[in-house]
Amino acid sequence: MVKEEQEESPNRPDNTAFTQQRLPAWQPILSASIVIPMFVLIGAAFIGVGVALFIASRDIQLQELDYTGDDSAHPCYKCRSSTEKCTCSMTFSIPNLFKGPVFFYYGLTNYFQNQRKYGASKDDNQLYGDLDYFKDPSSSCDPYTRDSRNIPIVPCGALANSMFNDTFSLSHVVNGTQKIVPLNGKGIAWWTDYNVKFRNPSVTPLINAFNGTKKPTNWPKPIYELDTTDVYNNGFINQDFLVWMRRAALPDFRKLYRRITHDDYVNGLPAGNYTLTIEYNYPVYSFNGRKKVVLSNVSWMGGKNDFLGIAYIVVGSMCVVMSIVMLIVYAKFKFAEDD
Amino acid sequence: PETIACLNLADIKIWVLTGDKLETAMSIGYSCNMLRDDMDEVFVISGLTQLEVQQQLRNAKENILGLRRLSSTGDVQKGDVFAEDSVFEETIISEYALVINGHSLAHALEPQLEHTLLDLACLCKTVICCRVTPMQKAQVVELVRRHKMAVTLAVGDGANDVSMIKTAHIGVGISGQEGMQAVLASDYSFAQFRYLQRLLLVHGRWSYFRMCNFLAYFFYKNFAFTLVHFWYGFFCGFSAQTVYDQWFITLFNIVYTSLPVLAMGLFDQDVNDQNSLRYPSLYKPGQQNLLFNKRQFFLCTLQGMVTSFLLFFIPYGAFSVMLKDDSSDFSDQQAFAVTIATTLVIVVSVQIGLDTHYWTAVNHLFMWGSLIVYFAILFAMQSDGLFGIFPSNFPFIGTARNCLSEKSVWLVILLTTVVCILPGLVVSFLRIAGLKKQRPQEQNLRRVRRTSSRRSAYAFSHQQGYGELITSGKNMRVSTLSSSRSLERIAQSSSWIENILKRKNEVSAQPAESHKADRLK
Repeated sequence: MVKEEQEESPNRPDNTAFTQQRLPAWQPILSASIVIPMFVLIGAAFIGVGVALFIASRDIQLQELDYTGDDSAHPCYKCRSSTEKCTCSMTFSIPNLFKGPVFFYYGLTNYFQNQRKYGASKDDNQLYGDLDYFKDPSSSCDPYTRDSRNIPIVPCGALANSMFNDTFSLSHVVNGTQKIVPLNGKGIAWWTDYNVKFRNPSVTPLINAFNGTKKPTNWPKPIYELDTTDVYNNGFINQDFLVWMRRAALPDFRKLYRRITHDDYVNGLPAGNYTLTIEYNYPVYSFNGRKKVVLSNVSWMGGKNDFLGIAYIVVGSMCVVMSIVMLIVYAKFKFAEDD
Repeated sequence: PETIACLNLADIKIWVLTGDKLETAMSIGYSCNMLRDDMDEVFVISGLTQLEVQQQLRNAKENILGLRRLSSTGDVQKGDVFAEDSVFEETIISEYALVINGHSLAHALEPQLEHTLLDLACLCKTVICCRVTPMQKAQVVELVRRHKMAVTLAVGDGANDVSMIKTAHIGVGISGQEGMQAVLASDYSFAQFRYLQRLLLVHGRWSYFRMCNFLAYFFYKNFAFTLVHFWYGFFCGFSAQTVYDQWFITLFNIVYTSLPVLAMGLFDQDVNDQNSLRYPSLYKPGQQNLLFNKRQFFLCTLQGMVTSFLLFFIPYGAFSVMLKDDSSDFSDQQAFAVTIATTLVIVVSVQIGLDTHYWTAVNHLFMWGSLIVYFAILFAMQSDGLFGIFPSNFPFIGTARNCLSEKSVWLVILLTTVVCILPGLVVSFLRIAGLKKQRPQEQNLRRVRRTSSRRSAYAFSHQQGYGELITSGKNMRVSTLSSSRSLERIAQSSSWIENILKRKNEVSAQPAESHKADRLK
């Protein structure tokens, strides 16, 4: 005889909305009346943002001074491949008032801080102040973990070893005399780096923590002598060290060196002649790198970079063009259908 | 009958393999609307020796092809009649049916005749095999499976169908009078034959559609994710420096982007179920492998590559000089990583949002939840607490806070997102606008001719035995309507025929068409 479905009720699948694919849902459909106005809106908004960005970027003043010294006429030519201390100075002039606050950067080109092994060559535990890792640095720092006599290096690794050690001073020529422009090195690194990521070992005096360790091979002074005048700028939390340890993403980069915030120059660098004195320690000649000093001010969107403004304008105009194209295609299709 | 008519409209060929006698089978065929009065010819192959069978097969084939050649306007093809028959298959406009006896089938399944049989069978609209043994059923399925690039589905309800069910690509068991053997051997089982319609046209279709969308999206997402490293190689000295944080790489495919695509794969529907049933020809893209083939794969890979290109180079341009508004520098590896990672997650999430056609509550939850979870984990992992516990494992301390609080970073993210998504929108809009509207072939029930013109549904066997069955009224059953589809109401009048059908016939259905996507085991 005929068997009804009720016989199988223990095997009957669930009849809920979820299992029977009956969930209520929203089905958005892209129609012309949504897409085309959306494109126009986005295009207009992007063009607006792009223009604002471009204008903001245009207003930023920038002065670049390349001091690699590969040209024999350059003042720093003599320091190019010297091994002992070498000082050179360059003069430059600022035509208009360089609106403040002005910031002083050093830049390197063709320098791959983003190389994988190079960037991984450090010991975060050491830099956090963990004394266990002073005695036994992690192997990620190889071959800069220990020196030839097997004494551990603190801070270990290639990243720390290659720290930039040129120093600069800027002076303003006023009435024939050189007036030093004071440079402020406080707070140039990220707040989180300074306060959280890098910690000095809690041993006073600091020098005692480094017993039984050596400085990195290429450093002139050990880490606890980086700034003997200020205990908050010494050791691992030295601002220049922190700025260097923050790896750059691209081979041409700039790092903040100092800020010019002294009373006399808080509104900017007045027009005139300036002299830049460089203690040229860092060799870049061997890998065709270049060194430069950059003076810049900033705006609400950061440094001088036309790319973002131009990109926004381009994308905005392409959106508007595409919306016109789509409108034409849609109109054609609609009229064709009506025919 | 409605199921069979419907499946025919979906380009699914249906063959019947039964153990009944020839007359019974033919009567059932007429009542099921598989054989019709207006068919041009019904070939009956009932030879007893190999030679006879061969002769009959050849005659039938020649008949079909001869008529075809006569009716073709001047483009007569010389050469072997039996070659290139698949070319003719699609252009046959007249309808033929083939009825073959079990005995003849045994001869026809010999290696030298099986191709002839297959070719002839494929030229016919309907094939009915009667007096078939279980072994032969499996052999017929095997024959189609081996030689035609088609997917086979076997429906049966008895223990003698088990071999056939196992041989076919998909086995369907009808749980009913004959016990549970067919059900246990099958991939799918249900209680009534008409559910096959829903299985194939609704769930099968949706399954194909979802699978193709899922695959295309997955390739796109992973190409966009991975190829950024390719572009970065040019700028990091080819040292294989990863653009992203290690934790991001680990969690990207597992946590941040897995759930939305899972929801899409489970719930997405392009056409709702009523319309899927109403327009069986919507099933055709699945049969013809239209939604995911080499071209589609290439396109989604290309989209992934272009996305990765934009994902890298727009932040690259912006980060070449990037300063915070307090002037400290910002174009460092970790900020770059966080920017690109955030942009990537947002871009692929927006893309799946656009790809999802059917937004259930679960979709909403997964989609927005994934984004929220991304930001939550990002800030958690780059927070002070975790760093304090495991300094060397969480070197990205502080980056998220510093990076995502800068306006310029959000402007970069916004620009990149828009540039990656909008071209896809434009392309799909233009494609829809330029597409010609096709009227889908609606399942027209009026065309289902009832067999009342010449044969009465009552007289379907020369055997005795059905008389008392009919008069006793035991077979009169009210077909239960599980859904309010109008098709079912017409089925009521012949519901008891369905009964007999299920009781006596082991019906096998074989969808046979050209290439199909591999959604089978």
